[in-house]
Amino acid sequence: MHLLEPVLLLQFLVSGLLAGALYALLACGLNLVFGVMRVINLAHAELMLAGAFLTYVLYAWAGIHPLLAFFLVLPALFGAGFYLQRLVVERVVGKGELQSLLLTYGLSIILINTGLLIFASDFKAIPELQGALIVGDIAISKPRTAAALLAIALTLGVYHFLKHARLGKAIRAVAEHPDVAMLCGIDVVRMRMFTFGLAAAMAGAAGVMLTMIYSFSPETGADFILKCFAIIIIGGMGNFIGALYGGLLLGVAEIFVAGFVSSQWAEAVAYVLLILILLIRPTGLKGAADVT
Amino acid sequence: MTEPLLTINKLDAAYGPVQVLFGVDMEVYRGEIVAIIGPNGAGKSTVIKAVVGLLKSRSGQIVFDGRDIIRLPAHAVPRLGIGYVPQGRIVFSHMTVTDNLEMGAFLIKDREQRRRSVDAVFAQFPRLHERRQQAAGSLSGGEQQMLAIGRAMMLDPQLIILDEPSLGLSPKYVEQIFEQLEELKAQGRTLLMVEQNAARALTLSDRGYVLELGRNRFHDTGRALLADKAVRELYLGGR
Repeated sequence: MHLLEPVLLLQFLVSGLLAGALYALLACGLNLVFGVMRVINLAHAELMLAGAFLTYVLYAWAGIHPLLAFFLVLPALFGAGFYLQRLVVERVVGKGELQSLLLTYGLSIILINTGLLIFASDFKAIPELQGALIVGDIAISKPRTAAALLAIALTLGVYHFLKHARLGKAIRAVAEHPDVAMLCGIDVVRMRMFTFGLAAAMAGAAGVMLTMIYSFSPETGADFILKCFAIIIIGGMGNFIGALYGGLLLGVAEIFVAGFVSSQWAEAVAYVLLILILLIRPTGLKGAADVT
Repeated sequence: MTEPLLTINKLDAAYGPVQVLFGVDMEVYRGEIVAIIGPNGAGKSTVIKAVVGLLKSRSGQIVFDGRDIIRLPAHAVPRLGIGYVPQGRIVFSHMTVTDNLEMGAFLIKDREQRRRSVDAVFAQFPRLHERRQQAAGSLSGGEQQMLAIGRAMMLDPQLIILDEPSLGLSPKYVEQIFEQLEELKAQGRTLLMVEQNAARALTLSDRGYVLELGRNRFHDTGRALLADKAVRELYLGGR
């Protein structure tokens, strides 16, 4: 079949969007934390893996289906993020990039090694959802579709919350002017705990999805966090919805490059896009001004 | 005489290791307009930041409505009935005018009640109502200051504290802001303000405090301070 067949292009596009949705969900949480408290969370991908291993444990020990585990992993990671912020991350808010990078790098090392201690470095997978839907002439992987739909729904849900809910607006107020937000009666420390909890829950959800479509080990986070950095710069630093666009764009670009060139080159796509964006539009697709 | 609404008693405050206020005393009675004036670096804004809790490093007494509030965190202050208008007409620039006002009423959980509060401020500032769906960042400087004042009034506070309300505004907007302050005075509201436009501030105020290097220097009625030779020479450009 010729590479420029419309069917094939459509197949690439769909596959790319499905892959990009997971990136988007992960990167949106990373960008939310950065936007609200100017902390770059190097342990964000490890929170995703915490979600993935929790899903794995629930599946292996209790036979709970990943799609059901979703409802347990989300609140668990929210709680973990909430208290992580209170106990640790809050201390470096407003103290400059270096401190927050060192702290979250330390956190990621602790999480990775805890994972290695418990699960060793073998790759795990959950072969629960399998198969493909055939729509017209294209095939859509069932687990990827389920994961992508959940990811998009969750991302848009959080976006809507930030844009319209009373608490969501308060989070944006804290992001822009913490002092003035305080004197509106907003408990900014609590809002940041909530924000980190929300980001951790999104990472945990990404972890649940990860189990459905990839095999993973405690060290899988590194591939993802680097791509997430590229995504948030492509989308706009600190801009939540920008990370959604950036994630989808990266997913599609990777699949096209893998299809037309080679899958080795696909790994470089994130960084080529990153350089292009920095040259053409350094503030990212959506600009870096606002959380939403 | 009745109890003051706000009493500041022997207030010390510091930025890190640098002490800025040394035993400052002040009182604000209900229905009064009180101005704090003084040269740059006198600690005028510091007094305000210490009162509302933005400056943690402080000691002495700050009694509001019969209660010492010096240990309260800033986010607990609005609930007491203190509205704060920050220096530099700070608004949440990416949010609409309406959303900015809603943030001022964050403590009101009931949506209907919040809406009534927003409507009350719109009634007072029709200009804000015209712009209600616009992003606050797109407003003119004067409108942003209006919005900051409106936001501070959302909880119908007993005391409104303003930090340099006319700073950085063009003369036309300075005029507008002082007209609004006149209006608030006419409504019988209680205002404590720091203002570099000392002559205008004292004309509007019932009483004024002159600070110098973090200490009380003069204290009298607005009119008396305006007439005082020393104050005029030192702080009002010798007119």
